[in-house]
Amino acid sequence: MITLAHLLTLSAILFAISIAGIFLNRKNVILLLMCVELLLLAANFNFVAFSRFLGNLDGQVFVFFVLTVAAAESAIGLAILVVLFRSRRSINVEDLNTMKG
Amino acid sequence: MLVQILFYLFGAFLVASALGVIVARNPVHSALALVLCFVTSAAIWLLLEAEFLAVVLVLVYVGAVMVLFLFVVMMLDIDLAELRSGFTRYAWLGWITAGVVIVEIVGVVTARNLGVDVTRGTVPLPEDYSNTAELGNVLYTRFAYPFELAAMLLLVAIIAAIALTMRRRPGLKVQDVAKQVAVRREERVRIVKMDPEKRP
Amino acid sequence: MASETTLTWATVAPAIAEIYLAIAVCVLLLVDVFYGEKRRGLTPTLTLAALALGALLTAQFGAVTERVTLFNGMFVADELGHFLKLAGFVFVGFALLYSRTYLEQREILKGEYYVLALTALLGIFVMVSAASLLTMYIGVELLALSVYAMVAFDRDSGIAAESAMKYFVLGSIASGALLYGMSIVYGVTGTLSLDELAGQLRGELSAGVILGLVFIVVAVAFKLGAVPFHMWLPDVYHGAPTSVTLFIGTAPKIAYFALALRLLAEGLQGAVAEWSQMLAALAVLTLVVGNVVAIVQSNLKRMLAYSTISNVGFIVLGFVAGTPEGYSAALYYTLVYVLMSLGTFGVILLASRKGFEADELDHYKGLHARDPMLAFVMMVLMFSTAGIPPFVGFWAKLRIIQELWATSHPWLILIAIVMSVVGAFYYLRVVKLMYFDPPGELPATERNTGARVALGLNAAAVVLLGLLPGPLLDLCARLLH
Repeated sequence: MITLAHLLTLSAILFAISIAGIFLNRKNVILLLMCVELLLLAANFNFVAFSRFLGNLDGQVFVFFVLTVAAAESAIGLAILVVLFRSRRSINVEDLNTMKG
Repeated sequence: MLVQILFYLFGAFLVASALGVIVARNPVHSALALVLCFVTSAAIWLLLEAEFLAVVLVLVYVGAVMVLFLFVVMMLDIDLAELRSGFTRYAWLGWITAGVVIVEIVGVVTARNLGVDVTRGTVPLPEDYSNTAELGNVLYTRFAYPFELAAMLLLVAIIAAIALTMRRRPGLKVQDVAKQVAVRREERVRIVKMDPEKRP
Repeated sequence: MASETTLTWATVAPAIAEIYLAIAVCVLLLVDVFYGEKRRGLTPTLTLAALALGALLTAQFGAVTERVTLFNGMFVADELGHFLKLAGFVFVGFALLYSRTYLEQREILKGEYYVLALTALLGIFVMVSAASLLTMYIGVELLALSVYAMVAFDRDSGIAAESAMKYFVLGSIASGALLYGMSIVYGVTGTLSLDELAGQLRGELSAGVILGLVFIVVAVAFKLGAVPFHMWLPDVYHGAPTSVTLFIGTAPKIAYFALALRLLAEGLQGAVAEWSQMLAALAVLTLVVGNVVAIVQSNLKRMLAYSTISNVGFIVLGFVAGTPEGYSAALYYTLVYVLMSLGTFGVILLASRKGFEADELDHYKGLHARDPMLAFVMMVLMFSTAGIPPFVGFWAKLRIIQELWATSHPWLILIAIVMSVVGAFYYLRVVKLMYFDPPGELPATERNTGARVALGLNAAAVVLLGLLPGPLLDLCARLLH
């Protein structure tokens, strides 16, 4: 039997991996965007699990909206990335340091 | 029992592919690992009988968002050799944070007073239960207001993506279909009257 | 949960601001597509007219006498929401009025910019009226996505693209944290409605609620720009086109006040002891870092970013008090701060010309000799932001300190006062540069009459509200009772 604890643990691991990825990765902005997607997936996991175990559909509706938002978000993120690449010819995180102070 | 074995199997795949996303040096490999993540997540959601969301996750993420990611990775022509050079000096901080987050959340989850009973299994749903129909019933009634807002959100994404990336290059040769259709015979064909040539 | 089946005028009228704005966005978009190319100034002018009409409609039809929830518990209408929406129309209208010449000179006077500003305003309204975790999340994203795109709007500016990317990545992480916190709170309480949530959290709190609360507090701190979650703010203020900095620094602050109020002070009021401790720690760090780092800045936009951070510290202190009076002090501070930063960035916009951003402190040397009106307005605003009486900024700081005194937080009062004195230094330095340093070889300032009249009104409001603080203070106290 899968219990709620199993699912919450899995979601916690996903959340931690995405946070680690954001810290680890200093080379590539696209990877940061992918880590954000993982972060949202972890939250979605929580919603689906709680919704199923509480017998309350609201959580699943929330996930539906999060998927919509995440699609819009990645479209805008990638658009900004394209603008950045056109002006810098690089998407290296370490190159994002023109502003200091 | 079968459900449990499948859960552990897919769970292991999910964690392994999530790790693959963050350690792969090549962004294309990361993107493909992320696709695997979404597919295994959808499988686990199916085990939880959240069928509609499982299907939507595959359609929206694997079918659209990840294709967009791969498209951008390919389009930008990134210097891969430069990207392969290792992690940063902050790497240890990342791993420590991840460890602390896992310990904390798992600690809270397994603690006695989370507020919900976490050792419970699911109540089986009745035979004629349709996840899609139930979601559809509430989506356009109780959640009509957020639904309309989500439409505005997608409009924002369209406007922003076009405003940021569309460029009018000077000297680009394009067709003007309206002009082509509206063209008249006189503009294309010139009828020249000539005397027939005389044989010498 | 009962489902409303019929829509009548009475059930939609309190949402008139949102409905009107959504329609206005679509109409403006269509007008811009068909006529935007031929008549460049059409969409900007129509947008201002649309904002004025929206404010009128909202004032006329959107008023409510008591708190009502609409749309099956997704939307709450109360007097506070009504007032904040009117303020949103006015602040965005002023911001767009100041920006026009700036945008024109940089060739980014496009319809999309104005449409994105309106969708951001829609996001602000949704947050102000959110009665459910779901609508709050969608409002946060609607505002954030519009603003990310606005920051990157000047595509030829590498520095803008860089700051947009930073803003986007850090902002998405904050949204992710907010979502994770919401998911845990939902799981533990089984409800998305903020009213039901408040009803459930009585007595001893479970560990799950505290865990969810930590994520939500981090996200709120991030959106407000409280230390140590402030990293995005200086870079975004510095890198974005000044018109966008002006936008980010004004109306969205109302929305983030509403975010903190609706989520923490209304939904999670049962956990007030826990979150007010967390906020107190954040507020101390924010005040210290904001004021100290602002001193060493040579870029005016960056200095104002750190000044924003220190002001956010004061707003957070209002929440630390944890009482309705404390929240009303925070509301007063937010409104006053937005009014002042609207003027300050307006001055920067008018001082800049094509190819000259006027964003270094040195660009303000001897401004008095070159443009006495601009220098005078800037002086009023700097005095007010520094908290010097009789300007309105003084009353805002005083109200926060009063509420901290009423809830017995002597140490926080001490830190707030010491840091205000430290902060006064860098505001007065700007005044010294403008009035006592010789003017260098700098381009003339912009002579846009409309923007100058608006700026004059803005400064007059700062002075008048300082001389007669009573009405606005009473209003803020009444709205939160």
